[in-house]
Order: sequence, then structure tokens, then C-alpha cells
Amino acid sequence: MPLIRRLLESRFWALMLKEIRQILKNRQLIFLLTFPPTVQLLIFGLALSPDVDHLSLGVADYANSAKSREFISALVENEVFKVSSYQTNQVALGRQVRVGNLTAGLVIPPTFDRDLNEGRSAEVQVFVDGVDANTAGIASGYLNQIANQYTRRLNPQLTSPPVETQTRFLYNPGLTSSWFFVPGVIGLVLTLTGSLVSSVTMIREKDVGTLEQLLMTPAAGWEILLAKVAPLFILLMGDVLLASAMGRFVFQLPFRGNFLLFFVLSGLYVFVSIGIGILLATLSRTRQQVVLTSFFFNVPIIQLSGAIAPIESMPPFFKFLSWFDPLRHYVAISRSLILKGAAVDALIPNIAVLFGFAAILMLISISRFRSQLN
Amino acid sequence: MNRILSQAQKELAQFSRDRLTVALALILPLGILLIYGYAIRLETKNIPLAVQDFDNSPLSRTYVERLFATNQFIPTPLAGTSPLSALDRGTAKATVVIPPTFSRDVAEGSSTVQVLVDGTDVNNARVIQNSIRGVTNFFIQSLPNISRPQGVIPRIRIWFNPGRQESLYIVPGIFGVVLWVFPSMLAAISVVREKEQGTAIQVYASDLSSTEWLLGKGIAYWLVAVAEALGVMLVSFLLFGIRLKTGPVPLLLGTGIYLAAAVSFGLFIGARTGNQNGAVQGTAIAGFLTSFLLSGFIYRLENIPFPLSLLSNLVPARYYIVLTRDAFVRGTGWPGVWYVPIVVGLIGFLLFKVASKILQRMQLLD
Repeated sequence: MPLIRRLLESRFWALMLKEIRQILKNRQLIFLLTFPPTVQLLIFGLALSPDVDHLSLGVADYANSAKSREFISALVENEVFKVSSYQTNQVALGRQVRVGNLTAGLVIPPTFDRDLNEGRSAEVQVFVDGVDANTAGIASGYLNQIANQYTRRLNPQLTSPPVETQTRFLYNPGLTSSWFFVPGVIGLVLTLTGSLVSSVTMIREKDVGTLEQLLMTPAAGWEILLAKVAPLFILLMGDVLLASAMGRFVFQLPFRGNFLLFFVLSGLYVFVSIGIGILLATLSRTRQQVVLTSFFFNVPIIQLSGAIAPIESMPPFFKFLSWFDPLRHYVAISRSLILKGAAVDALIPNIAVLFGFAAILMLISISRFRSQLN
Repeated sequence: MNRILSQAQKELAQFSRDRLTVALALILPLGILLIYGYAIRLETKNIPLAVQDFDNSPLSRTYVERLFATNQFIPTPLAGTSPLSALDRGTAKATVVIPPTFSRDVAEGSSTVQVLVDGTDVNNARVIQNSIRGVTNFFIQSLPNISRPQGVIPRIRIWFNPGRQESLYIVPGIFGVVLWVFPSMLAAISVVREKEQGTAIQVYASDLSSTEWLLGKGIAYWLVAVAEALGVMLVSFLLFGIRLKTGPVPLLLGTGIYLAAAVSFGLFIGARTGNQNGAVQGTAIAGFLTSFLLSGFIYRLENIPFPLSLLSNLVPARYYIVLTRDAFVRGTGWPGVWYVPIVVGLIGFLLFKVASKILQRMQLLD
């Protein structure tokens, strides 16, 4: 085993042991590696939910008949709406919606029964709070569908409509919102933690002044850098396991693809995030500056990645920018592997881009590291 | 009072000398406004839709035409023989499969069109389902010799934002996030910096009370925060077409109090932590996560599950966002937002009290 012996006797090994010892002594680093990722995954995974259900509906029922009550119960049947107040008149109902206590108001006219009994269509008025544009759109879609179903129920002679759509949701049949967000948030957490932890360890040597000493040793720039990166890499892979375990057991993600592939590609992304961190550290002098400049990097990286808001809805310019966002490619990989169970060949473009990013970031940081030498 | 003001003056002078913090204070909020304001859109337009039309009759083609006439979908090739392949590759978000017997079935009164939707993006999966159902309904009504059933027709009116512009929802929400995170971060850094540089000891030893000291700092950073608020709102006015829908009094008063609360939060974090990194990270992580995720900024507050929903009650951004959305979209005024300045003011006051208590313990008594 001459290779191993050579490794164990090498300068690189000694440097790495020094880094590992330093990390293990650094309580704050261990904290940064465990606590924020857990909290971020939990809060992002639980709090982000675009569900449209139990919308508070106010009713002003001027008909007040069996038929009108039947219509109201049809509205609340599938739990999209819940009736949270009955008003005696339209004005009071409108006021409740204006003030923001109700998401929607329904006005059933006094002629409701008469119209239906005499074979006319009865019009009901619905006002929807449009401040939340997205919810308002989905809610009005549901309202139309429910009214249609109710119409069908009133006319038993109509068996079924001439065209019926049968919708199947693939990959996430229950439309569980955490299934959409958590695979993306794993990437977000790796970005934040990886860049923070690596920039903090780099900058500390600068702060304390030991970086000059290290640079003066016979070790080459890449050796110092690699010795710093390798233990961080291993620790961050622990974060990947932590995040996957939380995804599996807290959020019940299906992990349909090959887990080993997911793990390896996450490792590739961890390299990218470490690269971002080193770049941040070479750009700034103090730790405070690192955290501030990380805002400039991390906010756009996260926002353009599609982890939180879908890329498809962005305006063209931002859609274009997102191609240059490494996190976008990792989120695509993570979602495909966790939800779709995709095979490697579908992911090749994304993997290639991540490789490119990892290589470029590493090259930049090595060269900037060297320039500090002079 | 004089001592407080001169303290504030000194603080402002110090602030304007530090280039990095000035840049941070003025550029970062605008940068975040632009990114969030343009990049956060929940509802997708131009959804790629693939159609597998086995019938290929005039009727089925009319149906397909209707689907694309909504301007919501753009046609995408199937990419193979299976209706799933385009979805698996991600080139289509939905596939509509029209059976070979479509026109015959329609004539006989019942046919089923299969719609396969990529459920990954939960929200847009719902949007797609709804619009395909809506189109199908219109299509049914346009069919000849269909006896239109008598039933209930909802006349839906969308209030406040009839065009359902998402920017009107997102941009006022950004105010809540940005105007919380940055004022608090600046205030926290300024307290901690004095601790780190040792000047805090001089203050402890002087006869300036901790409340006076914090008030002086607070006034200075409150003024900086007001400048930030004006900048952010002016840019939103110019770029996103945000306009006041009601009298300016609730917004002015509410913003003033909100900024004061944000500064108090920063002073509190500054009093608690010993170093600048902790201060920056504390305000960045605690302030950002809560005002971003637990404030109803992106999705409805009601969707936050139980233990977290309790926590969201303590997040001032959640109240302030109600106020900004009212001022810029809803336009109801005081009846809808009367409680906002009270709750936010109370939280801010408590934070300030605790901060000055913490520092008081450090004070040297004579």
C-alpha cells in the first residue's frame, strides 16, 4: 500500500489533520452545520404552502330556503370554502370582505328558488378578495366548478356532461405542497450552509493572521485549499444525509430515483457551494463583510433557482438569468430524482452545468488564493 | 433630550463615514426589491401543453383550438408515443389525451378526455386543472343542440385587483421583509461595534443612561430606515406601478412605527450578542426567516400549520404587510388596519425595553 503510505506521510495529510482538529474544536462551526439547516428545512418545509382550502366565505342568503342552503352546503362540501359568517345584507357582507375578514362573499338573491322552480337559471353574486391574486384565481375556478356540479345535481335527467375531463396528477398525486418545496429547500440549505461554513473557516485564518503563516510554508496553494475543503466536504455530506433523512421521515418524500445518485450529485453541488464560500471569503476582509456580501450572492441564487417560486412564471429576462444559477440545476436534479424517479440520462445537461460551475469556482478560488500570496 | 439628540447626531456622522454600511443600507434593499418584485410570480403563464389527439376529427381539433385560445397554454410536441414522455422530460407541464372515439362519444352524450398534469409544482398543477376544466365547460356550451341545463350561475367579481396582477400582491409584501431586515441589521451592528471596539465601556461609565444611549442610536437608525423606506417605495411606484389607494395617514403612521420596531429589534439583538458576526447572523437569520416565511408574504397565513402559526403571531411583518397591502391594493383604510400600529408598536416597545434592561445591567453606578 505505498499509495496510502505516501498519502499519510504527505504534507497534504498533515494539513488536513490540522484542519480537522481545528473544526472539531470549533463549537460554532459544528453549530452552524447542524442547527440552521434543521430549522431552515423545518420552517421552509412547513410554512410554504400554496394550498387553497378552508377559505373563509361569508353568505348573505336573501332566499333562505332549502334550495339555497343546499347550494351553500355544496360549496363547503369539498372543504375549499368554509362558511365563517352569515350576514343579513349585502352591504355588511361587502364591508367584511373589504376589511379583510372574509376571502369571499356570496349573495343569494331572493328570487333564487323562484328562478330555479320556473326553469330559469339563478344568478348568485360572488365577490372574491383579489389582493392575493393567485388564491383568488384558483378560488374562482373552484366556484365555477362547484356551481356546475350543483347544476348537474338539480337536473337528474342529465346523466353526465358530453365532455368530461379526468385529471391525473403525476409525481405528486396528493398535491402535497412540501413535496414541491422540500427537494428545493435541501438545495437552498446546502447553498447557505456550504457557503457560510467555508467562507467562515477561510476568513478566520485571515482575521487571526495565520493565513500569512500558512502561505509562507512550503505547501502549495492548492494543497492548503484542498486540505481546507476536504474536511468541510465530508461534514457537509453529513448535512446531505441529515436533510435527506428529514425529507424522508418528517416530510415523507418518496425518493423514487436512485439514492446513491442523489447523494453523489448532492456532493457535486456541495463542491459548488464551498466554491461560492471561498469566493466570498477572498472578496472580503472581515467576517462581517462575508455575511453582508453573501446577501448579494445568496438572495439571487435562491430566488432564481425555482426552489421557492416556479421558474416558469418568471419574466423572460429572469428566466434567462436563472440558467446561470447553479442552484437551479441542483433543484432540477433533486426534484427529478426525489419525485419523478428520473434516470441519469435525463439529468445530463444539469450535471454538466454543475460540473462546470464546480470547476470554474475552484479555479477562481485557487488563482485568487495564489494572488494573495504575492 | 439634548443628550439623546447629540448621540443621534454622532451616530449618523459615524454611519455616513462607513462606506460599506452605507452601501448595504441603500443598495441591498433595492436589490432585493428588484429580485423579489420581478422574480416571485406564483401563477405560470404560457404553460407548455402537449396534446395527443387520437380522434383527429373537426370536433377534436376545435376542442384543442379552444385550449390554446386561452393564451394560457402554448403547444408543445409530445416527444414520443407515450403521453408521459414530454412530462418526464419536463418539456410539457400537462398532456391532454383525446380518445379515438371522441366525436362519436360526444354525439352520444358522454366522453372522457384524460388530462395528465405534472404535480410537482402543486400550485400550478391546480391552476392547470382549473383552466382545462373551465375551457372544457365553455366547449360544452358551444356544442350545437346541447340543451343548456337550468342551474346556478355564479357571477364572480374579483375585488381590489380585478386584473389579478401578482405584482400588486408581492411588492407591498416585500416592504414588510426589506424594511424589517435592514434597519434591524444596521442597528444591531452599531450596538455591537461599540461593544467590540470598547467604546461601550466609556458609555457605561458615563452618566448617559442605557435608555438614552439606545434612544440616540434608535433615532439615528430610524432616520436611515425612513430613507430606505422612501427609496423602496419610490422605486416601486416607478417600476411596479404601485399606487396609494387610500389616505396616506395609516401608511405613514404604520411605517414609522414599523421601522421603529425593526430598529428596536436590532438594538435588542445587539444588546444580546457580543460580536458583529453574531449580530449580523442573528438579525439576518431570525429576521429574514420569520418575515419571509411566517408573515404571509408568499402564501396565505392560514396555511401555516399549528405550532408555527403561534410563532407567526409574534412576527411584526405579518401585521405590517396587512397594512401595506391595504394601502396599495385594498384601500379600506383604518377599519381594516386599526390594530396594526398598536400591535407593532407594542412589540417594538417591549423589544426596546428588554434591550435597555440588558444594557442597564452593564451600567456602572456612581
